[in-house]
Amino acid sequence: MDTPPLSHHEFPILGRAYFLGGRASTSVRRVLLEAGVGEEVIQRVCVACYEAEMNVVLHARSGYISLDIFPDRLELAVFDQGPGIADVQLAMTPGWSSANEEARSLGFGAGMGLPNIREQADAMELNSVPGEGASLKLTFCR
Amino acid sequence: MERCSLVLTHQDRERCILTLAGAVEVLKAETVVPTPSPEAEVTGCFAADLMSDVLAFARPGAVLLTGLATDQTIRTASVRQLLAVFVIEGKQVGGDMTEAAREEGIPLFRTPLSKYEACGLLMQAGLRPYRTGVTLAT
Repeated sequence: MDTPPLSHHEFPILGRAYFLGGRASTSVRRVLLEAGVGEEVIQRVCVACYEAEMNVVLHARSGYISLDIFPDRLELAVFDQGPGIADVQLAMTPGWSSANEEARSLGFGAGMGLPNIREQADAMELNSVPGEGASLKLTFCR
Repeated sequence: MERCSLVLTHQDRERCILTLAGAVEVLKAETVVPTPSPEAEVTGCFAADLMSDVLAFARPGAVLLTGLATDQTIRTASVRQLLAVFVIEGKQVGGDMTEAAREEGIPLFRTPLSKYEACGLLMQAGLRPYRTGVTLAT
């Protein structure tokens, strides 16, 4: 049987609430600092988390981040309700983006989000049901 | 270690460090949200308006030069553990950005300089780029 996590945390994300974009990720950073996770790992988690959070803010109606802290790893999952991703493979292509002008005016939407996330995580699983939403599961070794 | 002045010899660059207060002076910047540690060492500089690039390539302890004056800039700087943010071209900094900077503890400045000039002056003041060689991804 799997060992339960040392702690579990959830952070809500509101779609289209641009002014809140990034707040959940800074909360994740605080929780990881308090849990005594190393700075290098925190950096990787937070970069991936921020990109994923902005994807929810820019594309979905709502979502949340789930964080499980294990002795040897961190599991971060981001779930959203929204349009989903029509073509997951295409969305992983650096530079490909379906973001609008508003996203670009915030410094995002250049099609580097998912490639950046993949770069930071030790394992990544992205699933989507078009018209319903997307889920992203990331594992970071400590 | 001594503070850098504007014009340095090669030897000066080797032995001096650039402090945040020094960078503010070099960039003729105005303080929007002050730093609690003006003597902190600036360990690098990253210049971009695209936050995904900052997240991917900037290194902790660097200052960010950007034309993007939004609270996302501050949250990006916080997530990447940057030392400070400088908004270029004398752009107006709104209340949201200032509020975010206070909340996240990210010092915020405005410089009247262009991004190009600001980068040039920081390099002249002895701040080295992360990479000196160029390798293109294949």
